[in-house]
Amino acid sequence: MRTALEQAVQLVLSGDYQLINIISVTLQMSIPSSVISLILGVPLGVLLAFCSFRGKGALVILNRTLMGLPPVVCGLLCYMLFSGVGPFRHFRLMYTIPLMIIAQVILITPIVIGNMESFAQRITPAVRETARGLGLGRGRTFLLLVSETRYQVFSTYLLGFARSIAEVGAVSMVGGAIAYKTNVMTTAIMNYTNRGDFTLGVALGVILLAMSLVLNLTVSLIQGRLSR
Amino acid sequence: MIIRPFTKSYGGAPVLDFPGASLPEGEVCAVIGANGSGKSTLARIVAGAMASDQGRPVLEQAGPVGYLPQRPYPFQMTVEGNLLLNAPGGRADARRRAAELMEQLEIAHLARKKAHHLSGGETARMALARLLMRRYALLILDEPTAAMDIRSTSLTEALVDRYRRETGCAVLWITHSLKQAQRTADTVLFLLRGRLAEAGPMTRLLSAPTTPELRQFLDFYGA
Amino acid sequence: MKHKKLISLLLALTMVLALAACSNTDEPAETPAETPAETTPVETPAETTPAEGVDLTILYEQDDSMLNTYSLLAVNPDAPFVDADGNAVSDVYINVEGAAALINWMLSQEALDLAANYGYEEYGEYLFYVLDDAPVSTAEIPAATEDTATIRMSTTTSVNDSGLLGYLLPFFEDEYGYTVEVTSAGTGAAIANATYGNADLLLVHSKSQEENFVAGGYSYVLDGLDAERLPFLYNYFVLCGPSDDPAGVKEAASVTDAFALIAEGEYPFVSRGDASGTHTKEISLWPAELGITTEADSVADYTGWYNYSNAGMGVCLTMAEELHAYILSDKATYLTFRANNGVME
Repeated sequence: MRTALEQAVQLVLSGDYQLINIISVTLQMSIPSSVISLILGVPLGVLLAFCSFRGKGALVILNRTLMGLPPVVCGLLCYMLFSGVGPFRHFRLMYTIPLMIIAQVILITPIVIGNMESFAQRITPAVRETARGLGLGRGRTFLLLVSETRYQVFSTYLLGFARSIAEVGAVSMVGGAIAYKTNVMTTAIMNYTNRGDFTLGVALGVILLAMSLVLNLTVSLIQGRLSR
Repeated sequence: MIIRPFTKSYGGAPVLDFPGASLPEGEVCAVIGANGSGKSTLARIVAGAMASDQGRPVLEQAGPVGYLPQRPYPFQMTVEGNLLLNAPGGRADARRRAAELMEQLEIAHLARKKAHHLSGGETARMALARLLMRRYALLILDEPTAAMDIRSTSLTEALVDRYRRETGCAVLWITHSLKQAQRTADTVLFLLRGRLAEAGPMTRLLSAPTTPELRQFLDFYGA
Repeated sequence: MKHKKLISLLLALTMVLALAACSNTDEPAETPAETPAETTPVETPAETTPAEGVDLTILYEQDDSMLNTYSLLAVNPDAPFVDADGNAVSDVYINVEGAAALINWMLSQEALDLAANYGYEEYGEYLFYVLDDAPVSTAEIPAATEDTATIRMSTTTSVNDSGLLGYLLPFFEDEYGYTVEVTSAGTGAAIANATYGNADLLLVHSKSQEENFVAGGYSYVLDGLDAERLPFLYNYFVLCGPSDDPAGVKEAASVTDAFALIAEGEYPFVSRGDASGTHTKEISLWPAELGITTEADSVADYTGWYNYSNAGMGVCLTMAEELHAYILSDKATYLTFRANNGVME
């Protein structure tokens, strides 16, 4: 008789092949999807805060709506597009990590944009006025604004990564939770739960949390080091 | 330096109706008035950081304009880095100029410190030094000494005076301190509830205020 | 800054500990590992011997109408595939050679023997039986090529959860060099997956839905075999319930009588409610006058005792355990469930 915590520790220590594979697939999905979302979302979010144009309010509201896009809806959309009869069937991406990444980028990018936009929105007037006072051009002003958001990028990344690692609806739909191929932590927890194996599910949950904790600590450390 | 007449309103309500003014080269023009009289709006519009109702630039003659907003933004880099942001020409020259300005405002010891960790008075001095890295035809200062102690205030006044003499630029100095206006300005614009109530040489305005409002203002601020 | 970090760190730690504590209460840690069969649920009635950590017991099995037949179906590459808007799609990729290789292997004497023996070592019971008239294939199985190496199999959760494929497929993969990608869902969803062109073959257990699939032109007859639908394994669904059996289904003359007893006494019952093979089987066992179908509307009047859950087998079994409810399950999943929840070895 073992508790979930003991089992989690034992699983990690034993170097269980399946567990290592699940963790590795999880990271192969979560790191690219969060990084791509960050690369797309940060400039777009800051640009959205920086520019003023007609319809900007509508765009911000649209983005906020997308931030709340239910993962299963996103999963269904990607399933329809990439499934064997879908318009993008020739890419043969169904049940692959790249499609899981695509689905997650669709989910996470609006969150990154929204997060960066609302942060940049707060400092834009002051940055703009100061830059204008120094006679700096629009391009340099924008670059300065981007550079001012650099610490926010860390916490935004953590948010995106957390979403990515915790997400199950879209990933199970387009990934299919195929063992040793597209089975990630969350879908594995679902599988174990479906089999009535709650202890193993909780053990994986503990490992998932521990991974999240390690990442958070690492990023906080880097952030602290840089902002000093 | 000629400022054209312009108006400014927010959502239909007029906040500033300015009949125009002339800023002679090498002279300091103080803008005084109570809170909410439109001083900062005037500064922003003249600096081009805000559009007037008419839309076009309000300065007749071109030439670089430097503007210090009331709450200048400290960019998240070192104090020296902030100064070098606004550096034309060679790197070595810029560094020398930056060192000189920081020396004069007594912030040389903060050169390596991150600007966003400075106190209010230090930020204000950093921002002024950053602005003065370059030569302008017109310098607009919006209450640059509001956050400063007496010593920093006098350093600032001395530095601006020296900059004006060296570059021959015109200075538009927004202040709520009548004493500061008396110390620094050649001419005065007195704003009252969004209108230019009086304008003229400092000495004449103080000795013979024509409007009761200015007289009241002068009495109140103890001139 | 410093404080924020400290607080978030503490929060994270608290959560980990809370999770660990939760699982602690599920399974008392003080029970010595040498006597694993002693965890007794509080509510276990006195007359039953508390041999397992799970109260849910098999009450009725081995009835002919509880027969659960598993079939293989190859997906037809020339099936009338349509996209989401109903437009015909002609060039759907199907790994025809790979699917044929896997089906021929699954029907080989070697694989059938492996399947028949699966589970005995672990559970002391056979989980699957080979049908007497199962088609046996002696076809030569080609080794995988670059184009045929990945085979997509769509199956039901019950097959996947039983662990049968995890046991069988490595024999096939190691010998011939294929990789079988197994996705699992309820039979309805598993078949739908194939009609969307996302599978090369099916392993499912719902005769009517399989026949619809064949009738729709989605399957075809492989060389050397004589039908699209290839039933080859079977086992029995089991009717499980609280060990004290308040409805008295143990004494029922037939399984339909047992279901009638449950409905009559309105004893809690957990239904998969997900159009799975198990769900379709359950529907067929209720007295016809109740009018229960796979649609949720049909049980609207029975919500007092009938739980239409729309979840996987394991979740439903847990629910039945919690609610002291009756439930229809495939035997393999029930045994796994019991093994996992009772004692971890």
